[in-house]
Amino acid sequence: MTTHVELPQSARAAWPFEPRCARVDGWRMHYVDVGPDGGGGDPVVLLHGNPTWGFLWREVIPPLLAAGHRVIVPDMIGFGLSEKPTREQAHGLDGHIANLAALLRGLDVSNATIVGHDWGGPTGLGFALANPERVRALVVMSSWGWALPPSDFHTRVFPWRLMHAPLVGPYLLGRHNVLAGRGVYLSVVDRARFRQRAQAAYEAVLPDPASRLLTWTWPRWIPLDEGARALDRFNWIEQGLRAWKKPVQIIWGRDDDVFDREKFAGRFKALLPHAEGPHLVTGRHFLQEDSGPEIGALIADFLARLGSA
Amino acid sequence: MSGVQPIPAPSLEDTRLAFLLAEDRVGHYPEFRAFLTRVFDLDRVGLAAPGYLRAPSGCAYALVFIGRSGEPFPAGVEISAVLPALEPLDEDAADRDLWAILRWLVEGTGGAWSVTDLDATGRLYRIAASA
Repeated sequence: MTTHVELPQSARAAWPFEPRCARVDGWRMHYVDVGPDGGGGDPVVLLHGNPTWGFLWREVIPPLLAAGHRVIVPDMIGFGLSEKPTREQAHGLDGHIANLAALLRGLDVSNATIVGHDWGGPTGLGFALANPERVRALVVMSSWGWALPPSDFHTRVFPWRLMHAPLVGPYLLGRHNVLAGRGVYLSVVDRARFRQRAQAAYEAVLPDPASRLLTWTWPRWIPLDEGARALDRFNWIEQGLRAWKKPVQIIWGRDDDVFDREKFAGRFKALLPHAEGPHLVTGRHFLQEDSGPEIGALIADFLARLGSA
Repeated sequence: MSGVQPIPAPSLEDTRLAFLLAEDRVGHYPEFRAFLTRVFDLDRVGLAAPGYLRAPSGCAYALVFIGRSGEPFPAGVEISAVLPALEPLDEDAADRDLWAILRWLVEGTGGAWSVTDLDATGRLYRIAASA
């Protein structure tokens, strides 16, 4: 068993999946692995970002299962029901890519579709580019895969840079858990529905300030200038995407104001001209909260077309 | 005005340090580290002693600076309240004091960083101490 937190009743009802646990890269990773027994369906790997966990994908999963796919949903180390290191130095993009590689190699995943949202994008893209023999297709949404320029949102002092500034980050995002609480709330379309059905599930898995460290650590890894950490890795990802020939699907929220759809979905399309989309759905940054079933159906349809191609 | 003042080291007799906040990367935006270095003379003092602040509640706070091999000093900082040894923390008062310390930090760092923006961030995220 994996969970050391008490999920609220509403979350347990919406997240009925058997918890699994793997030792990855020195950490304890929680994940779910559902679908045809024996891995009969080509796997779809759903990767969340900051500050969410697998719960983000709860309404995306059923259409994929109905289409016969195996669905694997890890919680990044530092989030959800996975181990949460308490030192900032435990986290980095390369380490998170290696964590994912350890899980998917351990499961001997092949012919996988890697679906990335937010930090699940660079993490999943990094895995795909380093392990192309295991990957069938990519799906990206509200994310990025290059070094610079960042979004306008991420360069502004108010509220983004102040929110994770030295000592301010540990206070706001650590002591007060503002990203998992009000932060996600502000970045969905139907806020009343989100508050009623989901907000407690995001807050509950980050119960103490020390457990929330990655919520202010990840923002510091988004490159803002040429001196940023991971700049070389992001440049490597961008170069890899330019050469990527396998199928890609782009899905974006119409009202995304974190990763502006014109700029970011457009840049993915420019890097990957053969990509399908962007498909626009009702949503802001956390588009799965507003359009989960539609997103699941879009991915299932995309994979069905690949299967018949 | 933040109501926060650097103070000389208080007497620590019959007190304890109640840990409140840790920052592993105080130089993420280097101007924050530069401000703390200037205020507490850290290029000279180094790890020899914490820095101390008096906050609006009257409580003293210790800033314990952290060094990491290969990184500019200080790499990190911990903030603890200086409390009577056997007394529990007044959490609400400490939270208000921390907010005041953040306002002092942002005001002193200056440049692109402003108390106006910090207060707006606090209001956006409904931080009681920022009201």
